[in-house]
Amino acid sequence: MTERMRARWGGAALAGLLAVAGTVSAATELEGQDAPDFVLKSVSGKNLRLSEYRGDVVMLSFWASWCGECRAQLEHLGAMRERYRDAGIELLAVSLDQSARQASEGSAGARYPVLHDAGGEVGRLYDVTTMPVMVLIDRGGVVREVFEGFRRGNDEQYLTEVRALLRE
Amino acid sequence: MVVKWMASAALAVLAVQPAQVAAQEAPVQTVAAVPEFAPRADQSAEQGTEFRTLDEDVQDLKKQVLDLNRDLFLLEEELLFPSNTQTAVFVSMDVGEFFGLDSVELKIDGKDVANYLYTEREADALLKGGVQRLFIGNLKAGEHELVAVFTGQGPHARDYRRAASLVFEKGIGPKYIELTISDRESKQQPEFVVKEWE
Repeated sequence: MTERMRARWGGAALAGLLAVAGTVSAATELEGQDAPDFVLKSVSGKNLRLSEYRGDVVMLSFWASWCGECRAQLEHLGAMRERYRDAGIELLAVSLDQSARQASEGSAGARYPVLHDAGGEVGRLYDVTTMPVMVLIDRGGVVREVFEGFRRGNDEQYLTEVRALLRE
Repeated sequence: MVVKWMASAALAVLAVQPAQVAAQEAPVQTVAAVPEFAPRADQSAEQGTEFRTLDEDVQDLKKQVLDLNRDLFLLEEELLFPSNTQTAVFVSMDVGEFFGLDSVELKIDGKDVANYLYTEREADALLKGGVQRLFIGNLKAGEHELVAVFTGQGPHARDYRRAASLVFEKGIGPKYIELTISDRESKQQPEFVVKEWE
């Protein structure tokens, strides 16, 4: 291999490494920080502000009606909310759909608050670049964990993390 | 008889030996044992005093931190919004029947400066006499126009949207403007008033 080829391969490898490093989401950079506050209108018409849930563990889920993984995740999160409601937990499902109608139809039958992020502002605030994203917030309003995507086994992980926060 | 004598002698030896062993094994205690700790009542009293002092110190420190935080906040406001350009807009409510507040949009000189969504808790707080500072900013001296758009539920639970405006003169010194929502019993409608604080 010539010097020139070595230099090219080295450069390509470095570029690849930087590209991979760059894909680490800034959403995860929120871990350990106060959850950015926001207020959104729910599909039921009420305005809900995140900071008014201080004292509860909050599962903040970003989703869209066209996202299959999102629905699967919300199903698990909804079940956890029902199970641990009395222990002080809430699920806020923030829809990044274009319209409130899509958000409403996509969450028909949901027993948890479904919010519509009309302008995508809250999605940008939390730097949501992939879906679903679940932000786990403790009772003091601090982001403890950010889960990107939903894969097999994630539901067990959610349960472990949520139980730990409820015990605090 | 010899056997009896030997047995007695053996018994006598055996009696002496344990005494000697006991004498060797048991050291003579000449020094009285000194207790390792002071009497319990005195020590706990000292510890109690120490904790109270520490607790007082911690409380003092907390108070100092809170006072400093307050002073820094006021200083920040004075630096960001000096009184010669400061303009603040407040919202208050005196209504129960005719209007359920959902949001307020505020424009000054045609520019959006505030857009606030009210939660149930916040609207309740206003109804109970709270006053909200909706906007604080800087305006040059001279004439300015303020437009406030109120959205909510009007009489008979119907969607309601009303605007109120004010042309005001910004002079030297801070300017405070209040947006008031109240019931107008005579018309069975809510009333939206924009007024300047003197």
